[in-house]
This record gives sequence, C-alpha cells and structure tokens, in this order.
Amino acid sequence: MNLKDFQDRFQRAILERDDEILKDIPDGPRETKDNLLGIYRDAYLLRLIEVIGKDHEMLRAYAGDDAFGAMARAYIACCPSSHPNARWVSRRLPEFLRQTEPYAGRPVLAELATLERALNDAFDGPDAPVLALTDLAAIPPDAWPGLVFHAHPAAQCLYLASNAADIWTALKADSEPPEPQFDSPQAVLVWRHDATAMFRRLDAEEAMVWVEASRAASFGTLCQMLAAYDAPDTASARAAGYLKCWLDAGLLTAIGEDRLGGPAKTPR
Amino acid sequence: MPSSSPAKPETAPEDRPPYLGFGLGLRPQHYRDILDGSPDVDWFEVISENYMIPGGQPLAMLDQIVERYPVVMHGVSLSIASTAPFDEEYLDGLNALAKRVHPKWISDHLCWTGVHGVNLHDLLPFPYTQEALEHVVSRVHYVQERIGRPLCLENVSTYVQFGQSEMREWEFISELTRRTGCWLLFDVNNVFVSAFNHGYDAREFLNGIPADRVIQFHLAGHSDMENYIVDTHDHPVREEVWDLYEAALQRFGPVSTMIERDDHIPPLAEMMDELNHARELARKRLGLQRVHKSAATPSAA
Repeated sequence: MNLKDFQDRFQRAILERDDEILKDIPDGPRETKDNLLGIYRDAYLLRLIEVIGKDHEMLRAYAGDDAFGAMARAYIACCPSSHPNARWVSRRLPEFLRQTEPYAGRPVLAELATLERALNDAFDGPDAPVLALTDLAAIPPDAWPGLVFHAHPAAQCLYLASNAADIWTALKADSEPPEPQFDSPQAVLVWRHDATAMFRRLDAEEAMVWVEASRAASFGTLCQMLAAYDAPDTASARAAGYLKCWLDAGLLTAIGEDRLGGPAKTPR
Repeated sequence: MPSSSPAKPETAPEDRPPYLGFGLGLRPQHYRDILDGSPDVDWFEVISENYMIPGGQPLAMLDQIVERYPVVMHGVSLSIASTAPFDEEYLDGLNALAKRVHPKWISDHLCWTGVHGVNLHDLLPFPYTQEALEHVVSRVHYVQERIGRPLCLENVSTYVQFGQSEMREWEFISELTRRTGCWLLFDVNNVFVSAFNHGYDAREFLNGIPADRVIQFHLAGHSDMENYIVDTHDHPVREEVWDLYEAALQRFGPVSTMIERDDHIPPLAEMMDELNHARELARKRLGLQRVHKSAATPSAA
C-alpha cells in the first residue's frame, strides 16, 4: 500500500469508523490496536467539539452540554473542517442548524449560532484606524452633505428573526433566558471596540441609516432619508446623533467625499 | 533501512539559528502578565495558526510581545507528510506572519493532518517507508523554498505503528534532515510517550538523532492511562520526562528549551517555576549560566 492509499484508509478510519486500516496496525505492547486507533478517533471528535464549544459558549449553555455535544457531533459529521486553522471549524454551524433536523425545528439555535459567529468574526476581524470626532472638526459646513463614512471592517449588521440577542445577553449574565420569540425581527450591530467584541440592538431607523452609511451614502442623503422616514425637522440632528454614537463606539474608520469619488481619508 | 543517497545539506553549521535560552509557549491567558510584568522568559513560541487571522487583540498582543522578546513560530497545519497538494494560501499566510514577527525559526510537525480537502486537526502518524521519505524530502524542499529558510520539524507523539514501516522513526528523521538540511525540534515528551506506547527505549531514539541538527527542545506533561500514554499538554512535566531531558542535554548540548501547556493552563508564575527547573537542570548538566533575553551564546562547561 502506498502512502496515498494509506492516508485515504487512515482518514476513513477516523471519519467513517472504517476498520480496514487495522490490518496494517500491530497491537501495542500493552494495549490492543483497536483501542490505540481509538485514541485518534476520540481525539478528533473531542478536539473539534471543544473548539465549537469555545466558539459558541452561549449556544452550549442554552442547549445544555449533552445536547450541544450531540449537535456538534452531527455538525462535524456533516461538515468536516477544510481550513488549516481550527478557528474556522464552526464556520458553517449556523447554516447547518438552520437546514438540518431536528435543529431546524428549533430555529433559535441557528440564531444564537449566527450571533456568536458574528462576535467571533468581530473579535479577530481586520484592523483599521478608528475615526474620532476630532477628525471631523476641520471639515467646513458646506462639505458635510457630501461626506461619506466608511464602516470599520470588523463591524457588521445582522438581521435576526428572533430575540436571540436577548437570550444571549441573559445567558451571559447567568440569568434565565426569555422564551424564544419570532414576532419581532431585530437588527443587531456587531463590532469590536478596543479588543472586545460587542453588539447592540438597533431600532429600525438607526439600522436603515447604518446600512446606507456603510454603503457609502453621503451624509446629505442620510439626512434626506431620515426626513422621509420621520419628523423632517429633526432629521439632521438625528443624523448627527447617530454619527456621534458610531464615532464614540469606534464604528467608523474613514471619511470620503461623495462627489469627488476619491479615495477615503483615514485618520492619522 | 534508508538508502545512502548523497547528502545535500542546505544549511551549514554556521547557519544554525541562535541559542535562545529558556522559553514558554505564548498563551492568551498570560498576555497581561507578560506585558505588565516582563517575566524572566528568554523567548516565546507562538502557534502560527493562532495569529494567521485578519486582526484584533491576538495580533495586537503579539506585536507588543515581539518588541520585547525573541519569538519562534510553531505551526500545526503544514501537513508536511500529506499526499494532498500544499495549501498555498496557508503558506502565504505563514510568510505574512513571519514578515510581521521576524521569528528566529519556523517549525511544524513531521506528520500529516488530512487529505481530500479535509483537515482533521490532529498530528497523524504514517509508515516510515522509503516512499514516504522521498515524498517528505521533496515537500520539505518545496516549503523551504517557499518560506526562504530551513524548516524545523518536530517528532510527534504516536499511538499506533504500521506493519509496512521499513525503518525506525529516528532513522527516518535522521535521513530527512541529512537530505534536506531541515533543523529538528526534539520533543522530549513526545519521545517518551511514543517509546512507552510502542515499547522501545527512549534513549535509543535519543541516540539515533544527529546531535548537530537539534535546535529546540519541547517539554510538556502527558496523561498516563496505564496501558498507554496520551500527549495532552495538560499537566506539569513528569519526572521521567525531566530525566530524559537531562539525557537530551547530555547528548545535544545547549539547545533552546521551551515548555508547552495547552490545557489546564496555570498562572504564569507556575509556568515560571517549571521553566526555572529546566534552567536548573541545564545549569547542573552543562554548567550553563543564566541566559537573558538578548543573550545568544551559552557558556557550556
């Protein structure tokens, strides 16, 4: 048997519990070959379950250790890791839970996994300079309508169909989580501030403005959208309020000018 | 037995990486204590994959630690013995990280981690055959070309052996380093674990490794399951492994030494106690003076 065939067979022994490889393994001096091969089989599952559990602490707390373990085993069987970095082992967990019974029958599980994946992505997402309020001080008033803002690359807006964010928060605080509710979808902004991944719920207006701002809509356009959405008299003040809030949270990384279409300016 | 093909060393003794002294595996639990306390660690080994990420706190911490301590990169996913094609993106990531941290060397394991696009995230064994040797030699050449430096390879703990092996593990390793010029990371605990599991004398392994190719020692704890031992890195270094370490010092002389702990990670002070024990043994065996962060040359007795 050449090396390629050997590796095919050994991998099958781990992934599919195929015993063919045992023909090529002698017993150890004190232990049977079945048990010695079992060390690799067990280690494979235990290691990945541990990785998935660390990536999804609140999902694990919500499901309970046993149910989480069964869920993780089903996921590993369905979606073996293809990435050299174990950091991405649980990457496809939300989709798996959404599409696979019996988990699809409890859609809050996929929602919690989606939120935790976003938090993990924010934690080690790309670095970028953070825009500060003082970076905007020198901008003349007539330039403001044309300003566009660039969202920090580690920030993302999620749309959850449930109150999964509230459930996550309760679990994190070791409190009794609320019952899952799917009657009011929630927009949740997930980002990293300093070294910490965090999230907060957005109301419908802020979610709309954030999404448009991240798509490089100008400040003038944002004000117009806000005026069309609600109370035109206070639209500019509301836009300025959101902007300050995003700046304080480290959510913006650069400004540019809509009409020039030139490269974004980043703070020094 | 290995064939006697002509040696083509790509590294000469004068290219040997510097002696670094006594180091620890860098773990997130210790970031704050390291940066606030400047502990008396001569160098750190970082798990390459943990920092092959887009950004955030791990890289920010690493940048600060690199400013203060020499660093060595240690990977787990190179899969040098795999028959699957190399993951070129992975090699690019390794190069990008090396450009950032300027490691004293780059190491990984003599193993494979998966085929057919699957990564089993384990350090898997293979039969020590002439065919495997030719295969790994060509892969080491390729990686060394890609990373622009000699690779350093570590012996792994194994739990099974294979009937078709044509040579012993240490013979395979010796021939590999002779033909590729790769350096060796001698994991003392792994030798102990494999020797126990397969019923051979760990000192036979030790004495079968060329003394001039070993540039790093690993020390770690393991779990004794009575009939076999598992390399768990979740205990302090066991007494028998310390004994083997002393024998390794005797054979290999002053070699950069580090302690690995990957689970049940204790406070940094406790790791320092173990590290100082390694220092003490080296002092006793070799007459090494204390090595400080920037010192590169030990004074051997």
